Amino acid sequence: MKRLPGWLSDEPLSADIAPLLEEGRIPLEQLAAEARDTTLRRFGRIVSLYAPLYLSNFCSSGCAYCGFASDRKTPRRALEPDEIDRELAAMRRLGIGDVLLLTGERTSTVGFGYLCRAVEVAARVMPRVTVEAFPMTVAEYRTLAECGCSGITIYQETYDPGRYGELHRWGPKRDFAERLETPERALLGGIKSVGVGALLGLSEPVAEALALARHVRHLCRTCWKAGISVSFPRIRPQEGGYQPAFPVDDRFLARMIFAFRIGFPDVDLVLSTRETPVFRDGMAGLGITRMSIASRTTVGGYHHAEDAGTTQFEVSDDRSAEEFCRALRAKEIEPVFKNWDPVFNGPTMQEGEA
Amino acid sequence: MDQLQLGNHILSSRLILGTGKFSSTRAMLDAVRASGTQLVTIALRRFNREQAEDDLFGPLSHIEGLTLMPNTSGAATAREAIRAAHISRELSGSPFIKVEIHPNPQHLMPDPIETYEACRVLVSEGFLVMPYIPADPVLAKRLEDAGCVSVMPLGSAIGSGQGLSTAAMVSIIIRESRIPVIVDAGLRSPSEACAAMEMGCEAVLVNSAVAVARDPAAMAVAFARAVEAGRQARQAGIMPKYGAAVATSPLTSFLGNP
Repeated sequence: MKRLPGWLSDEPLSADIAPLLEEGRIPLEQLAAEARDTTLRRFGRIVSLYAPLYLSNFCSSGCAYCGFASDRKTPRRALEPDEIDRELAAMRRLGIGDVLLLTGERTSTVGFGYLCRAVEVAARVMPRVTVEAFPMTVAEYRTLAECGCSGITIYQETYDPGRYGELHRWGPKRDFAERLETPERALLGGIKSVGVGALLGLSEPVAEALALARHVRHLCRTCWKAGISVSFPRIRPQEGGYQPAFPVDDRFLARMIFAFRIGFPDVDLVLSTRETPVFRDGMAGLGITRMSIASRTTVGGYHHAEDAGTTQFEVSDDRSAEEFCRALRAKEIEPVFKNWDPVFNGPTMQEGEA
Repeated sequence: MDQLQLGNHILSSRLILGTGKFSSTRAMLDAVRASGTQLVTIALRRFNREQAEDDLFGPLSHIEGLTLMPNTSGAATAREAIRAAHISRELSGSPFIKVEIHPNPQHLMPDPIETYEACRVLVSEGFLVMPYIPADPVLAKRLEDAGCVSVMPLGSAIGSGQGLSTAAMVSIIIRESRIPVIVDAGLRSPSEACAAMEMGCEAVLVNSAVAVARDPAAMAVAFARAVEAGRQARQAGIMPKYGAAVATSPLTSFLGNP
């Protein structure tokens, strides 16, 4: 196995965040107030919206916690280009202008070529297209950016190499260090922003939060032009029935989000429909600046919502786009559907390129 | 009458408003109307032709007497900013472009090199170019020579609310400049806007401080008045500052009495 990078265990990098994560040290209410003020100053009273589109559930990996792992009995399916078109059209009708395209780990059916075509199709109708798929090479990321992908999401899942080994039972995802370096490869290839995160519930949460914070700092320092966003996914019930070994409660999750907002005042913090309406509405404006809406976690599911098949995980907030926006507006927060323009697409320019 | 000239455009209000970050389009429009501003800036990324509810351009374009200045926020390079300016002009019909190039999407500091490149090209294409820049006196003169209609140095980082932390540099820019100097970004309170005008800024641009106020329309009015007061004070001639009176002149007594 490759040696782990030094930043992963470099304690001083997270010294400013560590005390905030300690229960009982600073009252939660006080952290919330500081997180709210920080968010307000830098991001104002808006939340940017996006929605996921599952392109395929083919997968070559054996992640113990995932409904699409290759040993599940789930029927496999990949959207054809015309189906992708129909799904995107249905999403556009909901107002969605920012789509996250998802696949499993690379397979012979759903590989790099398939993904590029999907990004091209999406970039024709969506102002912003991002991807959460499999790790790629620098050259592949460059091609993906040229196709119109402006960001990728790649969760380390857990920053504990031991737990990582136990949970990723087979497949290309078993290589911890390779996955850890993926965001840098993407940025080097010209992808403009990367989303990182730990799947909360897999390992001891304070250690996960600190490692994630170090990862963010490392990326900010290494790739100064990179847009960085941080997500806070918690394990949800899924086909396969994995139970979180380290359950994370609402209060800790809120504390973690506040700590990240205070520690990283200008980084986008993302909350998905994995969380309940009460939690999402409560956290909007208290640090969170990007949220998913009207999510379907089946392959497809926007065009024909009813018969879409097995989900990757169950969503907790199944409100319609309209309903969710109403809740945000009631909190005097403006839901923003388009906060990017395709004119800014294309690979990040490296030094020396004109 | 005391008016602000930007290219061939004459404005009587010296408050420019940003239109992002508001809790609703309604709140933003109320603030714009209440302030009496005649120039607002809108990010191209917030133009949404397909969804009226999400669009900032449409509703602003209906306000009489208001000039719209698209901005290139989101651009990381000169090339992207130039493309964004072309599309903005096509969509809005406005001759103005606020060049905003921030390669780092976190701190949003303007890139002086890319900004200069973009401004040179856009001036040659006939835009009225207003660049958002670091408070750098040399860059400001380079951009004036390139043909920009104003320079917009930052008071402090966008959304930081740290006020005129660059005051010393901004005052050099003002002293040297033959085009309007407009402080953009970082202002938190009307008194800071007033101070910028007293220093000799020709206008100020405010967004966050108005957008996140409990009552944005009232705050917009407060800023408009502060800007007017500061301008008026500047025009009236502000009393110079003196130190404590000195009874004797030990350093110059050798020169004898006058």
